[in-house]
Amino acid sequence: MIRVENLSKKYNQDEVLHIEHLEIPKGQSFGLVGNNGAGKTTFFSLLLDLIQPTTGHIVSNTIRIDASEDWKPFTAAFIDESFLIGYLTAEEYFYFIGELRGQSKTAVDVLLAQFEDFFQDEILQKKKYLRDLSKGNQKKVGIIAALIGQPDVVILDEPFANLDPTTQIRLKKIIKDLDENTETTILISSHDLIHVTEVCERIVVLDKGEPVKDIQTSQATLEELEAYFNK
Amino acid sequence: MRYSQFLFFEWKQFKRSSSFQKGIGIKIVLLLAALYFIAAFTGLGLVAYYLIQKSFPQLDPIVVVNNYLIFWFLLDLTYRFFLQQLPVMNIKPFMLVPVKRSTIIHYLLAKTSWSFFNWLPLFFFIPFAIILLVEAYPLIQVMGWLVAMILFTLSLNYLNFLINKNNTYFYGLVSLIFSFAALRYFNIYDITVLAGEFFNKMYSLWYAFLIPLLLLVLLYRRNYAFVRKSFYLDDAIRKEKKLVRTQEFSFLNRFGKMAPFLKNDLKLILRNARPKQVLFMSFLFLFYGLIFYTQETYSDSPAFLVFASVFITGGFLLSYGQLVPSWDSEYYKLLMSQNIPYRQYLESKWYLMLVAVIISFILATPYIYFGWDIYAMIAAGALFNIGLNSFITLFGGALNRVPVELNVKAKAFSNTQGFNPTQLLIALPKMLGPMLIFYIPYKLINFNAGLLALALSGLIGLMLKSFFLNKIESIYQKGKYKTIAAFNEKK
Repeated sequence: MIRVENLSKKYNQDEVLHIEHLEIPKGQSFGLVGNNGAGKTTFFSLLLDLIQPTTGHIVSNTIRIDASEDWKPFTAAFIDESFLIGYLTAEEYFYFIGELRGQSKTAVDVLLAQFEDFFQDEILQKKKYLRDLSKGNQKKVGIIAALIGQPDVVILDEPFANLDPTTQIRLKKIIKDLDENTETTILISSHDLIHVTEVCERIVVLDKGEPVKDIQTSQATLEELEAYFNK
Repeated sequence: MRYSQFLFFEWKQFKRSSSFQKGIGIKIVLLLAALYFIAAFTGLGLVAYYLIQKSFPQLDPIVVVNNYLIFWFLLDLTYRFFLQQLPVMNIKPFMLVPVKRSTIIHYLLAKTSWSFFNWLPLFFFIPFAIILLVEAYPLIQVMGWLVAMILFTLSLNYLNFLINKNNTYFYGLVSLIFSFAALRYFNIYDITVLAGEFFNKMYSLWYAFLIPLLLLVLLYRRNYAFVRKSFYLDDAIRKEKKLVRTQEFSFLNRFGKMAPFLKNDLKLILRNARPKQVLFMSFLFLFYGLIFYTQETYSDSPAFLVFASVFITGGFLLSYGQLVPSWDSEYYKLLMSQNIPYRQYLESKWYLMLVAVIISFILATPYIYFGWDIYAMIAAGALFNIGLNSFITLFGGALNRVPVELNVKAKAFSNTQGFNPTQLLIALPKMLGPMLIFYIPYKLINFNAGLLALALSGLIGLMLKSFFLNKIESIYQKGKYKTIAAFNEKK
C-alpha cells in the first residue's frame, strides 16, 4: 500500500529523517514510536505532502505523493488541532468532511451513531463551536472525522495523548476493530508503548530520523521496546 | 528584566520569522516609497506657506493651515487604521517570570510611538514651522504650535490603538465622524469651523499645547488600562460558552461541488470577529460615492469618479479577497490534505466575490439620483470588479502568507491587522487600473467610450476566467509548502 523509497528530509544541513526503504502492506496497523525529535511527525507530514522531501519519495497505492494529488481521496489524517475548523460545530464539521469525501449526510449520521459511546455525550448536539471544546474533546472529533468515508489509509499522530482513560480504552477498541474488520491501513505514532503494542501489528522505532527497529508485535514486544528505550 | 531584553527578544522574533525572508525587491520598493513620502512632506512643508500666501493673499497662512488641520488629522487616522502595524507580543511566557506587568505594558505602548507614521507628519510640521520663523513669526507661539502638533500626532497613535483593538471605540468614532459629516453636508452645523478655531488657539495661545498634552496622557492611560485588563489568560482558560445553532444553508447546495466551501465561507464570515469587521467595512465602501459625486471638483475629472465607482461595488471583494487564503490559515493543513482541488477552492472564493459585487450593485441603486451617467459608471465598475479585479485580488492573496487569527478583536497583544505594505503594492493596479482603462479612451474619444472600455475589460476578463484561475492555481501549487510553513508559525 505504502512504499517509501530513499526518503530524507533536511533542514539546512540537519537531517531530521532518513528512511532507505519501508513497505507498509495494505490493511496493516502500523505503529511508529520514538523519542521527541525522532522524526515521527516529519514522516507523517511527508505522507500528507505538507512538507517537501529533500530526496526520495513515498508511493501510496501506486501514486507518488509529492507528484500527484490523487492520494487525497483515499487518505485521511488527524495530526493536530489545525485539522479542525474552529468556528464549526462538531456536526457541521463532520458533514463538511463528509461532503468533501462524497458522503451523504445520512451516511455520516450512520457512522457517527457507531461512535456514540466514544463521544461520551460530550460532542454531538452540544451547541458549541469546536474552538470552545476542550483539547481532549477536540481530539475525539478529529479522530472520528478521519474515519469518514472509509479511507484506505488513516494517519493519526499521537491519538492517545490528551484523552481521558475511558476514551483511550475505547479508541484502542476502535482501532482494533478497524484492523480486524476492514482493509484500512492505519498509521499511528505514540509515546505510550503499552497502547501501541496493544493495537499495532507492527512497530517501527525511529531514532534521530532513522528506523532502528522493525518488529512484528508479539508477547515479547513491550519488554523489548522498554529495554530499548531504557538504554 | 529590562526594556533592552524585550528589544532583544523582538529582534530575534523578527529575524527568525518567515515574513522576514520576504523578497528583497519589495523591501527596496518600500524604502523608496518611504523616502518619497518623506521628500514630499518636507517639500510641502517648505512651500506650503508661500502657496497659501499666493492663493489666499488676504489670509494669514497659519490660519488657513489651522482651519484645515482637522482633515489632515482625519486622513492621518484613516491611514494609520489601515496601514500601521500594531505591536504584537506573546505575553504568556512573561506572565510567570518576575517582571512587572506595568514594565511590559509600558514597553509595548512606548514601542508604538516609534512608528514611521509618527515621524512622517514631522517632516511637514518642522519645515513649516521653520518657514514661519523665517517669516518672522514670534518664536514662542510657533514653538507652542509645533509642540501641540507633535502631541496631537502622538495622540492619534494611541487613539488608533484603541479603535483597532476595541470595537466599541471603533464604531463609536466612525458614527461620530459620520454624524458630523452629515451635519456638515446638510448645512445644519459645520464642526470644521469650530475645529479651525480650536487649532488656531493652539497657535495664538502658546500654552494651549497643554490641551493635547492632556489628551495624550488620557489616551495613554486608557490604552494602559485596556491592555492591563487583557493581561490575563482568562480567555484561554474560561471561555464564554455561548450556545450556538448548527446551520445548514442548504440553499447553497445548487452550487454543486463548490457548495461545501461556500457554506463554510458563509459561516466563517458570520461567526468570526475579524471577517465580521471586514463585512462592516465593505458596507461603508458603499457610501464612498457620496464623497466624490457631491464634490464639484470631481465632476470635471471623471477618472476620479471611476475610482469611486469601482470602490462602491468592490468593497467586500477588495477587503475580503486580499486575505484569501489567509482566512483559512488556522486549518490550512486540513484543506491541504483533504480531498480538495485548489481549483474548486479558488472558484468558490471567486463566486463569493461575485455575489458580493452583485449585492453591492443592487444596494447602489439609489445612486441613480446622481444621474444615469454615474449609474452607468457604477455598472461598468462592477463589471470590471467581477472580470478583472477579482482575479488580481486572488492573485495578490496568493502571495500573501500572513496568518490571520479569525476570532480576535479585543485581544490587545495580537496583531489584528491583515493589511501589510506588500498588500498595498498589489493594491495599486486595482485602483489605478480602472482609472487608466477609462481615461485613455475618454481622452481620445469620449465619455461613453471610456465606460465601454471599462465594461469590456471586465467582460474580457470574465471570458478568460479559466485562464486566470489556472495561473493563480499554479502559483498556489508552487507556494504550497511555503504557505503551509508560514501559516503554521505560531503568532
